[in-house]
Order: sequence, then C-alpha cells, then structure tokens
Amino acid sequence: MEGKVEALFRNPSGILSSDAPGNDIAISSRVRLARNPADRMFPLRESEDERREFAAEVAAAVPEIERLGGADALVFDPEHMGAIEREVLLERYLASREFNARPEGALLAVRPDERASLMVNEDDALRIQCLRPGFQLDEAWEEASALDDELGSVFKYAFDEKLGFLTADPTNVGTGMRASVMLHLPGLVLTNQIASAVAAVGKLNIAVRGLYGEGSENLGNMYQVSNQSTLGESEKQIIDRLGAVVSQLVEREENTRKLLMERDQHGMLDVIGRSYGVLKHSHRLSSEEALKCLSGVRLGVDMRLFKSLDVDRVNTVFMAISPAHLQKRAGRELDQSERDVCRAAFCREHLN
Amino acid sequence: MLCDNCKHNEATVLIKEIRNGKATSINLCAECARLKEQQGELGALGFNLAEVLFDIGKFTKALKSGAGKPELEVPREVAEAICPKCGWSAEKLRQHAGQLGCPECYRTFAPLVEGAVARIQRGLVHLGKRPVGGAAGGAVAMRLEMERLQRELKELIRKEEYEAAAVSRDRIAALKRELDAGGTDREVR
Repeated sequence: MEGKVEALFRNPSGILSSDAPGNDIAISSRVRLARNPADRMFPLRESEDERREFAAEVAAAVPEIERLGGADALVFDPEHMGAIEREVLLERYLASREFNARPEGALLAVRPDERASLMVNEDDALRIQCLRPGFQLDEAWEEASALDDELGSVFKYAFDEKLGFLTADPTNVGTGMRASVMLHLPGLVLTNQIASAVAAVGKLNIAVRGLYGEGSENLGNMYQVSNQSTLGESEKQIIDRLGAVVSQLVEREENTRKLLMERDQHGMLDVIGRSYGVLKHSHRLSSEEALKCLSGVRLGVDMRLFKSLDVDRVNTVFMAISPAHLQKRAGRELDQSERDVCRAAFCREHLN
Repeated sequence: MLCDNCKHNEATVLIKEIRNGKATSINLCAECARLKEQQGELGALGFNLAEVLFDIGKFTKALKSGAGKPELEVPREVAEAICPKCGWSAEKLRQHAGQLGCPECYRTFAPLVEGAVARIQRGLVHLGKRPVGGAAGGAVAMRLEMERLQRELKELIRKEEYEAAAVSRDRIAALKRELDAGGTDREVR
C-alpha cells in the first residue's frame, strides 16, 4: 500500500498537464458516473461485511478491466491506510470526502496515469471517474462511458426504464453523471465580476463551487463548474450545455485579462510580481496565501511574463503544497505551523 | 377520515399550520392536495408540496429554527411504508438527507421520489445511455414522456401560462429529435 501512494504523490497529477487544449484557463475536466448493482442494497444500507464482500468482488474483476489499466491498476484499500495517505488521494481528486469518511469496505482502483479511476462503496456502490487536463469534457465522457460499458458487462446495474440508472441519492438518478470543469478565473475575481457570473450560470442549472467543493470558494481563484440536473437530458446534451457555459466563462476571463493589461498594466504586473515575490521569499506560507499567490504566478505564466517558469512547474507546486502532500513528503504528521514552514521552503526551492 | 375539501375521498395528507401560536390542521385526499398545490393554494400557506416532500431534512430543521412555519406530513401510506427489500422507511430517509436504501426503494417511496425528481431535475424521463445488454425500451419511455408533455402543453395553453408552455414545447421538440436520431439504435441495443 505504502509503495502505491509513493508512486503517485511525487508526480504532478496526470490531470495537470500542459499537453492539453485550452489549458490556460480551463485547468481540468472530469466526468463521474454513479452506478449500483441491481441485486444489492446501496452502500449506506449495507453492513461493513457486505460492503467488504462487494469490494472483494470488484477487486477480483479489476485486472480484467482494460480501461483501469488491467493488471497494472493501482488498487487501494482505504481501511488499511493512514489518514494522511487517504488525504493524498483526496488532494489528487481520486477520492471524495464522502469516500474518505467511510473507509470500512471501501476500495479505490486507479489507472497508473490517474486519468481513470473507480471508487467502490462511496454513496453509490460504483463511482466511475475520468479526468482530463484542460477543456476536454467530450473526451472525458467518452472514456467514462467506455469504462462504464466494461464494468456493465461484469455487474448488472440497477436500471429503470423511466428513471434510468438508480442511485442512492435521487439527485443523481438518470444518467448518474456529474461533469465538471475546473476554471482559473483571476480576471473575473479582480474585477468583481465573479459573483454576477456565478449567479447567471446558476440560472442554467449549472453549479459553481470552489477548489475542494462547497465552502472552498475563491481559494486560489479556482472554480469548479458542474451540471446539477442528471435526468431529462442525454449525457451529450448535459455536456454540451455545460461546455457552452464553460466556453463563455473562458471567453469572458480572456477578454477581462486583455482589458486589464490595456487599462491597468502596472496594476496587473504588480499583482503578478508580488505573488512571485511572496512565493520566492517567504518562510511561512498558509495554504490560502500560497494558492492566492500561485494564482498570480499562473496568470503571469499564461501571459508569458516568466522566461524560466512554465505551467507544468506551477502545477507541480500547486499539488505538492497541499497539506497531505507536504506531510507525505516529510514522512510524518506536521502541525499547521510546521506545514506553513515546509510549504514556504518548497515554494522557494521550486519557483526559481 | 374524509377529505376536508371534497368530503368524499379518504384523507391521506395532513397539513398543520401554526400561526400566532395557534395550530390549525387540514386533512386532504391526494387528489385535492395535488389540485391545491397546482393552484398555488398550498403555496399561499408558505411552502411548496414537492419541496417539502423531498427536502424533509431541511424542512424539519427550518421547523425547529422558526415557529409559525407549516408542517406537512407525507401521505400516510408512504410515511408508514417499509421497503420490502431493505427495510428502509420514510423516517430513515429523513435521517439520511433523502438517501434511499436500495434500488427497490424507488418503488416503495415512489411519491417521495417523484416529488424530489420534479423539483430538482430538468425532466422526468431518462434520455441517456442504457446499460450494455439492457432490454430495449428507451424509445418507449420517450414516447410516453412525449405524450405526457403534450397533455401538459394543452393544459398550460388553456391556462394561458405561455412561458411554461414554451418550456414544454421545447422539451417535446428535443424528444422528437432524440427519437429520430437514436430511437432505432436504442431498440436494437
């Protein structure tokens, strides 16, 4: 188990990569599908032993599932992992809070490139997830759907002619699909347009949340845009609607950045320069401040203002400075003050 | 007990309202409750039937925090229903923020689920992919939904609710397109 987390945590996540279209503002795209076997109860209703029994069935099937990497798939058993290692999976978007809250009988299978994974016994028995760098919703959906077909040939799903795929929570029923795109919107935040943008998007049944879901709004100017409704439209229709909203937000962010450079060039350069200065010279950095400054540096990289920095470097730091990653790297539990010191040291070293 | 409204059917819905510290209650049959909700009369009491039915957890929280809010109990046959497969109850549903116990619960608590679905989803019928090797029927479900929407459209036009009618009309058009494009494919699969 130890080795598997080791294999992951030092790498920049497979979803944060520069080899993607339109990844300046759209950081990553994700599609999650909720599925349940027809002949079982939902995980909440099952005993720990029943959940373990199903997890064992899935674990036995994983080596045959090509889209999870087949025999190369990394299989995690959260029940026998430490809290920090489970948090590492959360910070890499491979596990959810709900998943980590109930490790008994949970299982996670991850393809080594981290772009496809399967949570077993979260709210639903099976949660398929496909992640892609940049704005690649269609690709993420196609991959998730193919993985879904592979799993569907092993497990008979709970499916109703009228309501579609049956999920533990009726807010997911139908397609069982949550599609989302992570957007970096510093321009809209700087010009106070973000609140009106979020409100406008909300009217279209599209939700906007922060980096780590609800309650983390405005952390590093990162926003997760996702569909709210899962029934009454096909997956493609939902994705097209979400995609149209994302494109509009990206366009507005681009225009705002251009406008800011024209009208207040020194103001813009000051934000970026100070952000870099703080990351480069601090000896104590809170998560919030680090993410805020990293947003400024990312903006500068997008605008080609740094000769020696690229977006891959920013992404590496972005992942490495999250609390569990810092502790994993240190090889022990760190309190908040120790983390702030380690975070500052990492930034100084890696943003040269 | 007979319905307070039509005095004909058996009452299955109990609405309690506390106003100025005085509790009043009305017993309605399912038909009258639905009618009253459609006419917005229950809305005048300060809540929406579907919202109350599904968002039970939030609703009881609201009740605890502020007096004077009306209380609506779920229809008795649902309130007392126990899922034959997993033993889940409406009370459990309440405790677990609307989560169901097993796939069969969708049938056991159908009125609750339908209320929830109508409130939070954009449509009532699944138009997405089907399980590999699943039985045909997507096209059938779509036709049923289209017929339902066409009835709804007529009714909305009669009531001169043109904005809502436009939504139904667009949904019908979308279903038609979906049927033309994918109907045969679905039936083959």
